[in-house]
Amino acid sequence: MSQPLLFYALSLLAIVGAVGLLMFKHPMNAAMSFAVTLIALAGLYGLLSATLVFAIQLIVYAGAIMSLILFIIMFLNIQPDDLPDESGYWYYLAGGAAALTPLALLLLYGINSLSVTSTPEAPPGFGTIKEVGVVLFTDWLLPFEIVSILLLVALVGAVVLAGKREGGND
Amino acid sequence: MSGTEIFITIIRVGFGVFVPLSAVAVMVWMERRGAGFIQDRAGPNRCNVLGFRFGGLLQNIADAIKLLFKEDVIPGHIAHKFYFILAPALVFITALLCFAVIPFADALVLGASTYLMQAMPLELGILWFLAIIGFGVYGIILAGWASHNKYGLLGGLRAAAQVISYEIPMGLALVSLLAVYGTVNLTEVTQFQGRLLFGVIPMWGVVLQPLGFIIFVIAAFAETNRTPFDLAEGESEIVAGFHVEYSSMKFALFFMGEYIAMFVSSALIVTLFFGGYQIPWLNTQTLVAHARPVAVALMLILPAAAYVFARWIGFNNPGPAPNPAQRVRETKVYIAVVWSLVALIEVILLGYIVAGAGGAADRILVVWLQTAVFLLKTFFVCFVYVWVRWTLPRFRYDQLQKLGWEKLLPLALFNIFITGAVVVALG
Repeated sequence: MSQPLLFYALSLLAIVGAVGLLMFKHPMNAAMSFAVTLIALAGLYGLLSATLVFAIQLIVYAGAIMSLILFIIMFLNIQPDDLPDESGYWYYLAGGAAALTPLALLLLYGINSLSVTSTPEAPPGFGTIKEVGVVLFTDWLLPFEIVSILLLVALVGAVVLAGKREGGND
Repeated sequence: MSGTEIFITIIRVGFGVFVPLSAVAVMVWMERRGAGFIQDRAGPNRCNVLGFRFGGLLQNIADAIKLLFKEDVIPGHIAHKFYFILAPALVFITALLCFAVIPFADALVLGASTYLMQAMPLELGILWFLAIIGFGVYGIILAGWASHNKYGLLGGLRAAAQVISYEIPMGLALVSLLAVYGTVNLTEVTQFQGRLLFGVIPMWGVVLQPLGFIIFVIAAFAETNRTPFDLAEGESEIVAGFHVEYSSMKFALFFMGEYIAMFVSSALIVTLFFGGYQIPWLNTQTLVAHARPVAVALMLILPAAAYVFARWIGFNNPGPAPNPAQRVRETKVYIAVVWSLVALIEVILLGYIVAGAGGAADRILVVWLQTAVFLLKTFFVCFVYVWVRWTLPRFRYDQLQKLGWEKLLPLALFNIFITGAVVVALG
């Protein structure tokens, strides 16, 4: 029905966005095409009935992080002359593609050798806020808390670094 | 899908799209006449068709026609035309999409099936609102950046920084609120508010979370870029901010997007803090059980309200200039229209009481009543927006950021701790 179609459309959008991120020269174009990838990924999560992850992807990645990146690009106000010289662009691209081909073939081989068994359908309530919350705060409590401490450390580090530079200028 | 299902889906989506769009006209009118009222002047009231002015509402149509027929200028210095055109569309669409999850009446139970009265019956509820509002920032940033103009860029920077900073206290105020409600689904949130605290006070969010309410309202004002936080378009400093290069319908899209965002955040404040569609002390079950007395009460209240309204029109509408006879005729027509509307509703209600009472008709009557109550509350909060705009002066930019980060953020965190302790203590 419509689900395989949606899957193909969203996957195509995600890949096109990622290619655009690499190929566009202007940072604003690259950032916008990355936003397309992030939104398409949110759609894929939605198709997998991961409702909460769908929302978080939109709120955190597509909403907060990307708008901060756009904000920084706007703040820097990059002109065409500010962009680095990319005369060897096609050589790098060809070299990179050649280097990655064996890896891609290996991946393809690995995927093809997976046994095709149908997985059971997700139980009702799967991926909703309550279910994810219960799993997060029972089975995965320790990793969850460790990650939160890691984020706190990063936050404090950012504040310290920002404060130090300001002190140096005075 | 059965016929009823298709019909109800069309009604829901239609409500989700056309009500915010029509609300723009009402709110622009409310803003201008409200400004006039607060500044002790009349406001726009001369625009007319054959002498009928509809209290100044026609001015909006004149403005819309003006904006539609203006030349659509794209300045020659703009390098990224795609983003320049995309930006107003993004601002407008995201504002409209936010409204889709707000319930305007309680779930309609017809036979065995239940229909949620939201344009998009998502269980994500408030998370959808937070997800979509983030995309509105894209529009502002792209507009400010693509305009390639120092005022546009400054306005875009200000607006984006403000919206991003105030999303944090808003989200934290929501956390404590959702801890109280125990759900993110807005229909369930509103159903929760239909209960009574100590059997007397309605369990509205504003009663349970007064501090959260204050933080949320301040953040909502900042999110919609309204006074006292409208630095993004501070006329005296940066002309008009991020939409300074826009003309014609592109400007109109920004303008309408701003008013729709205001309407949506009013609707959200009502849903989260003022019981949404709930009528105090009369929850859906009570209303459905006593549909007939409610209809009778409505039949009695309506003529009384119409009488007061007609008296008010008769007192205020006739004026000295420029043609007193025309004004008197106009007033008569208005009063006749009000009474014929009342007569129509009375006939419908009478028909309901005589023939249709019981079963599905009761529930549909309740949906109508709740929708009306929801719109009434929402427009009142919209009026508060107007009221604040014409009362308070503008903040300075550093004051704005200080308020967000140094006052609201710690207050919101404090509120989360207190709420968490109380919720755990009460089980």
